[in-house]
Amino acid sequence: MNNVISVRNLTQRYGRGRLIYDNLNFDVPQGSILGLLGKNGTGKTTTINILMGFLKPQSGECQIFGEEITALRPETRARIALLLEGHVQYSFMSISQIEEFYAKFYPRWNRDAYYGLMEKLHVSPGQKISSMSNGQRSQVALGLILAQNADLLVLDDFSLGLDPGYRRLFVDYLRDFVKSEGKTVFMTSHIIQDLERLVDDCIILDYGKILTQQPVTDLMRDLHKFEYRPGSDNEKMPENIPGIYSPWQGHDGREFYSFLSRQEVEALLSNEGIKPAGLTLSPVESLEDAFIGLTGRY
Amino acid sequence: MTKAILIKEYIKTRRAFWCSLLLSLFFTGYAISGINRVVATHGIEHVWLIMLLKDQIFIDAIKYVPLLCGLLIGLSQMIPEMQLNRLKLTLHLPVPTLRLLLTMTGAGVAELTLIYLIQFAIITIYYSSLIAPEMTWSVLLTSIPWYLAGYTAYFFSAAVCLEGKWRRRILLSLLAVGVLSVYYFQPIPGAYNGMLLPALVVTLLLCLLAFTSVNRFKQGLID
Repeated sequence: MNNVISVRNLTQRYGRGRLIYDNLNFDVPQGSILGLLGKNGTGKTTTINILMGFLKPQSGECQIFGEEITALRPETRARIALLLEGHVQYSFMSISQIEEFYAKFYPRWNRDAYYGLMEKLHVSPGQKISSMSNGQRSQVALGLILAQNADLLVLDDFSLGLDPGYRRLFVDYLRDFVKSEGKTVFMTSHIIQDLERLVDDCIILDYGKILTQQPVTDLMRDLHKFEYRPGSDNEKMPENIPGIYSPWQGHDGREFYSFLSRQEVEALLSNEGIKPAGLTLSPVESLEDAFIGLTGRY
Repeated sequence: MTKAILIKEYIKTRRAFWCSLLLSLFFTGYAISGINRVVATHGIEHVWLIMLLKDQIFIDAIKYVPLLCGLLIGLSQMIPEMQLNRLKLTLHLPVPTLRLLLTMTGAGVAELTLIYLIQFAIITIYYSSLIAPEMTWSVLLTSIPWYLAGYTAYFFSAAVCLEGKWRRRILLSLLAVGVLSVYYFQPIPGAYNGMLLPALVVTLLLCLLAFTSVNRFKQGLID
C-alpha cells in the first residue's frame, strides 16, 4: 500500500530549548484514518505545522504524495484539505463569498456538499462567518473540506471549542464522507472519544517520543489494565520498568497498564522485588482509557 | 485564481479603501478651497506672486494623506491574515507563494494608485486652470515624494504585519520611520526632483520586505 505521508527521523525542539521529539518516524498509508494523540505540548500541532510547510524542522525528512514538504507543487497542495486548530477561516467573508473564493482553486470542487451542510445551520448565504457561533463556524470549515474533495485531509484538533452536538455532527459527517470516498486522513484531537468513532490507526505521542503506533482495534485488544495490592505499605511502585505504563497508587490498591501477558508481568515485577497480591487483568474499555493508560493521568 | 485573490483582498480592504478615498478627497477639497479663498480676497496675481517668490504650493494640507492611506490599506489588508495565523490558509492555497504575494500586494498597490491618481488628477486640473503649466508641473513634482511615502508606508505596514517575531516587527517599524522621514525632510518645493527615480526604485524594492516576512513565517519564526 502506498504511503501518503512519510516521516523519517524527524527531530524538533521548541526554539533552542526542550526537545519535542527525536528521530520520529511514521507513515500514513493511503486510505487510512490516522489519529495523532498526545497530551498538550507533545508536538501534535507542531507535527502538522511541519507537514504543511509552516515550520522548518531541525532535521529529518517529510514527504506527502512522494514530494518533499518544503517543495510541494501547487497541484499537490490542491489534493490536501487543511483544517486549522479552532476552525480558523476567512471570517471576514460571508457563507457564499468563501464558497465562491475556494471554488476557483480546486478543480474537483463540489458546491452541493458545502451547501448541503450549510442548510442544516439555518444561516443565510450572505451571513458573515465572523457573526457565527463556534459550532457554526466549524461546520463552515467542514463544508469547505468536503467540497474540496481532496485526497488527503489534515485536521488539527477539530473538536476544539465545540459542544457535544456539533462534535457529533462533525464526526458523523466526516466519517461518512471519508469512508465512502476512501480518503486518507491525518488528524489530532484532544477529545479522545471523538477519535475512537473515527480513526483506524493511532499514534500516541509522549514527551519526546512515540509510545505506540498501531490499529485502534489492536491497541484495545492488546493493552490491559493490571491491578494489585502491594505486599507491604512501603513496597516500591513499579516505576521505570520497560513494558509497564502509568503506575498509579489508588485508595484500594495499585494499577498499571501493559501490552505484556500476565506471566510476563509477574516475572518483571518479581525481578524488581515486587510481590503483587491478587493481580488482576482487565481489558481497556475505551480509547481514552488506553490513552490514559499509556500516557498517565498527568 | 488571481481574480479570487483580488476579490478576497478587496473584501478585507474595502472599508479602508473608501475611507482613504474620502479622506483624500476631503483634504484635496480643503486645499483647493484655501486657494480659492486667497484668489477671492487677494486676486489670482497674489497666488502667482506667493508661489514664485515664497516657494509656496498651497497643497501642504495633503502632505501626509498618501502616507495615511498607505498605512490604512496595508494594515486592513494584512492584520486579518495574521489574526489566528490565518496566513496559513492563504499559504496553503494551490498557488506559488511568489505569485500569491505579488497578487496580494498588487491589489493593495492598485487601490492606492487609484486613490492617488484621482487626487493627482484633481490637483492637475485645478492648477492648470489657475497657473502656468511650468508652475503646475513644479507643484506636481513636489507632491510625488508624498505618494512615494504612501507606497513605502504600505510596503512597510505589510512587512510588519506579516512578520511573526515582535522584535523584528519593532526593528522594521523603526526602519520605516527612518525611511519615511526622508520624504518629509526637505520642506522646499522641488527639493527632491533630482532623486525621484532612485526613490522610486527603492520604494519598489521595499515590496521584497513582505516576501522576507512570509519566508520567515514559513520557517516557523513566529512568537
